[in-house]
Amino acid sequence: MIELRNVTKKFGNFTAVDGISLTVQKGEFFGFLGPNGAGKTTTIKMMTGLFTPTQGEIIINGYDIAKNPIEAKMTVAYVPDQPFLYDKLTGREFMYFVGGLFKMDKKKLKLKIDELVEHFEIGDWVDKRTEDYSQGMRQRTTIAAALVHEPLSIIIDEPMIGLDPRSAKIVRETLRKKAQEGVSVFMSTHSLPIAEELCTRIGIIHNGKLAFVGTQEHLELHKQQYDGKFESVFLELTK
Amino acid sequence: MLVLLHILKFKFISFIKTTFDFRFVTIVRGLGSLLVFGGFSIVAYFLSYEITKFVLEQSRTGLFLYHRFISMLLFVFFMSVNMGNIIVSYSTLYKSSEVNYLFTKPVSFTGIFVLKFLDNFLYSSTTLFLVAFMVLLGYGTYFGYPWYTFLGVLVFVLVPFMFLSACLAVLVLMSLMKIASRWGFRRVMMGLAGMYFALVFFFFKFSNPIKLVTQVNKYYPNVDNYFSQFDPGFVKYLPNNWVADFLFFMARGEVKFALPYAAILILVTLAMFVICMLVAYRFYYRSWLVTFEFQAQSNSLQAGRRMKMFDFRKESILPPQMESLLKKEYFQFFREPSQWIHLGLMTVLVGVFVLSVRNLNLGLRVTNVQTLTYLVLYAFGGFLTCSLALRFVFPFISLEGKALWSQISAPLDLKKAYFTKFIIGLSLILALAVIVAISSNVPFVRLSQRRPLLLWFGIFSAFWTSLTLVTLNLGFGGYFANYQEKNPIRVASSQGATLTFLFSLVYLIVLVSIIILPLLQYFNSLFIFSQFDPRVLVIPGTIFGVVSAALTAFAGVVGLRSLQRDF
Repeated sequence: MIELRNVTKKFGNFTAVDGISLTVQKGEFFGFLGPNGAGKTTTIKMMTGLFTPTQGEIIINGYDIAKNPIEAKMTVAYVPDQPFLYDKLTGREFMYFVGGLFKMDKKKLKLKIDELVEHFEIGDWVDKRTEDYSQGMRQRTTIAAALVHEPLSIIIDEPMIGLDPRSAKIVRETLRKKAQEGVSVFMSTHSLPIAEELCTRIGIIHNGKLAFVGTQEHLELHKQQYDGKFESVFLELTK
Repeated sequence: MLVLLHILKFKFISFIKTTFDFRFVTIVRGLGSLLVFGGFSIVAYFLSYEITKFVLEQSRTGLFLYHRFISMLLFVFFMSVNMGNIIVSYSTLYKSSEVNYLFTKPVSFTGIFVLKFLDNFLYSSTTLFLVAFMVLLGYGTYFGYPWYTFLGVLVFVLVPFMFLSACLAVLVLMSLMKIASRWGFRRVMMGLAGMYFALVFFFFKFSNPIKLVTQVNKYYPNVDNYFSQFDPGFVKYLPNNWVADFLFFMARGEVKFALPYAAILILVTLAMFVICMLVAYRFYYRSWLVTFEFQAQSNSLQAGRRMKMFDFRKESILPPQMESLLKKEYFQFFREPSQWIHLGLMTVLVGVFVLSVRNLNLGLRVTNVQTLTYLVLYAFGGFLTCSLALRFVFPFISLEGKALWSQISAPLDLKKAYFTKFIIGLSLILALAVIVAISSNVPFVRLSQRRPLLLWFGIFSAFWTSLTLVTLNLGFGGYFANYQEKNPIRVASSQGATLTFLFSLVYLIVLVSIIILPLLQYFNSLFIFSQFDPRVLVIPGTIFGVVSAALTAFAGVVGLRSLQRDF
């Protein structure tokens, strides 16, 4: 479970995230939408310990990320918007590296890596250095590495960028399956159709504040007020 | 040509915008830099002035020998600039994304070459220019140079000298790329390292400074004369000798004898630049293509699948996080040519130093001379430690790059990640510093009929300076981290790195200053056969310990805090 309590992030005089509160329950697939610069990535970076909130609390599976960062991070998988990898490591080595940081048993880790390499169709590329990878292959490797330790929550920022249709489908199905297994998924995306297709609840952030949070049913009600399209709701809320 | 000017214009605009940034933080940082650079310049000036005065007035070495020592220093300087440029040029000419971009645009290959070559030269040599100019200023003030002479020497002697070294470096690099496509990259690099080792070794072997000193001193007190008949034949073809002879004749006020040396230097430099352009015209693009072959060879599937030493798949006795961090650092280092090649070359230089100094015959049992010799060797060891720490430890955190997210978002105490880097850096630097300390103390142990006091002091000092300099470079490397820059050499020559280096040198100067008195007393007691009172070590030892511990603690806090910043 992920819980944000009145979270604010300021950079000097600029407030990037302004008092956000929301909860993502176990097994829930939460879609986090918003225009460019709205505060999506900043929120996610605070949830994963990359940014320190100026104010508020973030509780990940019962642990405050500021007070108990190690325990909180042990339960979560993070996939950043840009799949930066260590250029000189192979994909397999990167996955072993991440598994090691999560203190995984080597035998279990090996089995998990083999399974993920097959699942994400990384193939022979896994034994080549990541400096030669395409954007899509980097993205697949990053997602696979994030899942090696069987997380309780997944925080994923723009997962479909750079993926070919087949890979995008694999990622979508994987995330959906994880949510069905009881993992809480927090996904930031620009793609309204993907959010509509996958998410059980949706939040729209605009100028650092939550402009909308609701289930698909709530969204349906909003859509009726316009022309029945999610796009129109989104454009109106982020005007 | 117009295209080149167009690119230069935008590079200049970008430079101006980043330099004249009037945000509070940037202004404070700028003022800090100014303070350190200014302080360092003043220290370099006074040191140069005082050394010149000491050598010529106190130890009465004479103009000729002094300028031959300068020539030897210039040889080392030339080789350092040369090797530095080979390694930096490999990154800037062959591995830069800017070059990849420019090759897709209608810009000539020679144009791109000139652009990157100048970029490389100016970027990596700015600090060296500053140091060289301040040393020249101190030296020239002693001889009463008028102000325009300083500018003349800088523009017409120092700049061509360094430029020649840089030209030679890119010529060697382009030839290497050509040969390496046939013989293999690693083999050719090993050959290059061997060649440099041989060059430095034979230069000092055939220059034979001790023999030269003995021959010149036979003419004492007429030691200001020009004794070129004692020079081995080959030195007159070396640019360091042209500069030294130019300075020698200028010091004697014989401008008409000095100018031909400057003229030769300028002409040879121009010729070398033209040769560079011609070679670049024919080979630059082709040699650039070769780098892709290297990459494909080094990144083959077979190589990736092969079980390697320290392979991630192997079981380890270390805790998993420590194992992961150590193995990552190992592979990142040894798969980056600019890292292992530079370390190899530095190790070769240390090897040359160890071999040269091990059998050093100290000769004279004169307190001042032995104190000065000891201080020079001690300062060299410290300088080497500074350079190694700057080159290999300072970029440590920056080289994590944007992939650092994987550690920050993992259940990892970042102190552990920091400590791992510290241990790796310290092991490397300490090992080399101790080797240098032992080898440079051996001649003094011989001189003192096997009294080991200086040897123990050398090892103790090497330990503390390594510890302090590694912490300083790691901490400041974190504070000034640039996660966008993938080239370790550019990180190590950034403004933050330069500041750290100057800070390290100030620390080194403090250390050298506090050991002067105890050393004088030690050698004095040694030569008059009296008992050395170890109590004289208490105050310098305390200052040494306090300064080192304070710097270590300060830099450690700065470094750890830098990792806790927003990423």
